[in-house]
Amino acid sequence: MKKTVCLTAGLLTTLLCCTPAAAATGVGTSGVPLWLCIPFAGLLLSIAVFPLVKPEWWDKNKGKAVIFWSLLFVVPFAFTNGIGESATVTLECLINDYLTFIVLLFGLFCVSGNITLEGDLVGSPRVNVLILALGTLLSSCIGTTGASMLMVRPLIKINSWRKRKSQTMIFFIFLISNIGGCLTPMGDPPLLMGFMRGVPFFWSLRLLPILLFNMTVLLFIYYHIDRRAYMKDIAEGRKPDISKPGTHVRICGAHNFFFLLLIVLAVILSGVLPTLPAFQDASGAARGLHIGSVTLSFSSMIEISLILLVAWLSFRTTDVTVRTKNHFTWSAIAEVAVLFAGIFITMQPALMLLKTSGGELGLTHPAQMFWATGALSSFLDNTPTYLVFLTTAGSLGFAQGMVTTVGTVPVKMLTAISCGAVFMGASTYIGNAPNFMVKSISDENGIRMPSFFRYMLWSICILLPVFLLDTLLFFM
Amino acid sequence: MDQNREKIMELATRLYDLDAEVYRCLGSSLGRVYTGRRDDCIESLAALMSGGRQTYMLRSELALVGNMARTIPDKASYVRVMAQYDQILKEIQALPDTFGKVDIVDKDRVQLNWIDLKNRFSENDHLIICIGRTQGCAGTDIGFALADALKINFYDTEIFSSVRKRLESEQDNAPDSIGSDVYPFLNPNPPQGHPTLPQLMANFNRYHGLLREDAVFFNESDLICNMAKKEDFVVMGRCADVVLANNRIPHISVFITAPFELRVQRIMETHGLDRKRASRLLRQLDRRRSSYYHFYTGRKWGDPVNYDLCLNSACYGIEKSVELIARMINQQIDPPAQA
Repeated sequence: MKKTVCLTAGLLTTLLCCTPAAAATGVGTSGVPLWLCIPFAGLLLSIAVFPLVKPEWWDKNKGKAVIFWSLLFVVPFAFTNGIGESATVTLECLINDYLTFIVLLFGLFCVSGNITLEGDLVGSPRVNVLILALGTLLSSCIGTTGASMLMVRPLIKINSWRKRKSQTMIFFIFLISNIGGCLTPMGDPPLLMGFMRGVPFFWSLRLLPILLFNMTVLLFIYYHIDRRAYMKDIAEGRKPDISKPGTHVRICGAHNFFFLLLIVLAVILSGVLPTLPAFQDASGAARGLHIGSVTLSFSSMIEISLILLVAWLSFRTTDVTVRTKNHFTWSAIAEVAVLFAGIFITMQPALMLLKTSGGELGLTHPAQMFWATGALSSFLDNTPTYLVFLTTAGSLGFAQGMVTTVGTVPVKMLTAISCGAVFMGASTYIGNAPNFMVKSISDENGIRMPSFFRYMLWSICILLPVFLLDTLLFFM
Repeated sequence: MDQNREKIMELATRLYDLDAEVYRCLGSSLGRVYTGRRDDCIESLAALMSGGRQTYMLRSELALVGNMARTIPDKASYVRVMAQYDQILKEIQALPDTFGKVDIVDKDRVQLNWIDLKNRFSENDHLIICIGRTQGCAGTDIGFALADALKINFYDTEIFSSVRKRLESEQDNAPDSIGSDVYPFLNPNPPQGHPTLPQLMANFNRYHGLLREDAVFFNESDLICNMAKKEDFVVMGRCADVVLANNRIPHISVFITAPFELRVQRIMETHGLDRKRASRLLRQLDRRRSSYYHFYTGRKWGDPVNYDLCLNSACYGIEKSVELIARMINQQIDPPAQA
């Protein structure tokens, strides 16, 4: 308990110090007082602490906690900035950020839940390393969320004979849910934003050496950790069923891969369509459906419709036994939907402070950009964080480098910002949406996942040294 | 104390059965909380319930069962299962903090002892003697002589490999090159060079993605357990003591060694090697046996705490060592024939 309190205090301090310029004055230059970040910190602490101290209460009341912390931001914000501004900010984040986010997650969750692996492949350190490596590379093709949802159940299934398997899911989050998404704009939303701002589509492939380095180091560490766990499992007398000769692996619901590709296509369309004249009005703003002062763009509506249609088709065309074998339930997506609604709303003041103060941070070196983007991406949405630092870098007046719509950014700096945003989402459960999904699905299937703080301890002990190596090798 | 033990066992059984019921209701294929053998899981659960210091682990496992139970889609099953879950939870919470008494006796090990077995277990249990040994201490000779004296079967590495090989060949109707080459240090003519990619792929497919050594260990473990249900025997090595203990099959474990210098001399004589090569061979083989045993059991090879009896064969010689072990297990043996 004492440890939890110390970690809690540390997390609170970190969050409040996320925006240094504002921290110095107590009021951000956007007119957003720093104390408005307290609901965000409070919500994160609730997510971290309540499952430890009052798990059953949290299970039943997390929705109420989310509403409480959200109101604790919305109402005071209405007092300081006006009811209209407060309503606009809330609607903007719910409609333009949260809605597309959760629909994408929902679609991938549904489609991947309709694909199951049948067979007798046995989860061992070697097989797990192969699957993690495959999934990491797949992340850049179908996105970190897509790859995570697709790979998580087969990995759980082949390791079902084992007792110690949480380390596998932790490294799954590190590699497949985060780091693997760095190679293409399809991999992770920040890179898609970069693509929309003039970074060439295949530019991110230049991050391959960094990805390979991180993959190699992490998989090496993982192999040795998992090997120890594997030895302990065997020593306890656990053994897989290998009585049948040969390995037979069969994928049920394989037609859903086509639906998965359609979802990836929908995501790409959401990035490409807004740049077309047909989707812009005379002033260049996105055309769409006006809800109050907020516009839900036609491109987003197309993305949402396509994903929902695909999810529906996936359910209609797949036998229910596939979902039963997959232990498909709505709990994981429901938990993520509720918690991330609160996270999206309450993180608004922190994002506003970041947008206004990002340029005043005095960051001019790639290593600084890597750590600043990464540290904030660990807790905040990595897409706006990426954009803030990309814009900051673009405004520094460099003459050489990648020419983007926000200015010229040196390649090394763009690399650092991209890696920071993508890699360090793995630092916490809330750093990237698939992290929490993987945790929830694992929790539901008999895997004892670490608590919020214990997971952070894993990331500090393993990821931090790897990121330090990245800094020395690639960003100095 | 017995009542407490009974209560704990009853609770552990109910929790195990509840987990199975939850898994059945869900129809999932992703694995349940307690995936090991029923008896082992119940014993482990009972141990958790008895040990006051490990309540956090018990709570954590209960939570995992609860997590799964809460996702049961069928309302009636959900209500029924959750009622059972709540009842078990209450009863576990009502348990006193510690039930265990401070004693030097390791109950699990005692249950596996033949001496104890004679008094407590049915006559259907077989006499199984697991012998671990250092290279050159005449352990294999002692094991063979003991089996002969007790008129029971003897399985050493080579015999074991050939039995397993035959079974595997029957199983998938394909010739198998696995034998002592799995343990190259036991093979006088180990295969040269690295396996080719097709060979690696074939092995990957054949052994379900496991390393060949691991797959062989699992198959041998099954074989030992199956044989233990059918016959009395002496088995050399193969981590048989731990495999049987994990499967709660009564046996007696013996470790035989001798001073290094005497073992070197014996190897020099039996293998016709010079001192340097004999010493190197002994160290190499001991190291490999040690790492094999440690890898598959998590225990230290040759550590007296892991065995019922440790023996310095140099103090007794082969014949007297056999007599000593037989006396320990209190079996009548025929006097050795006079030369």
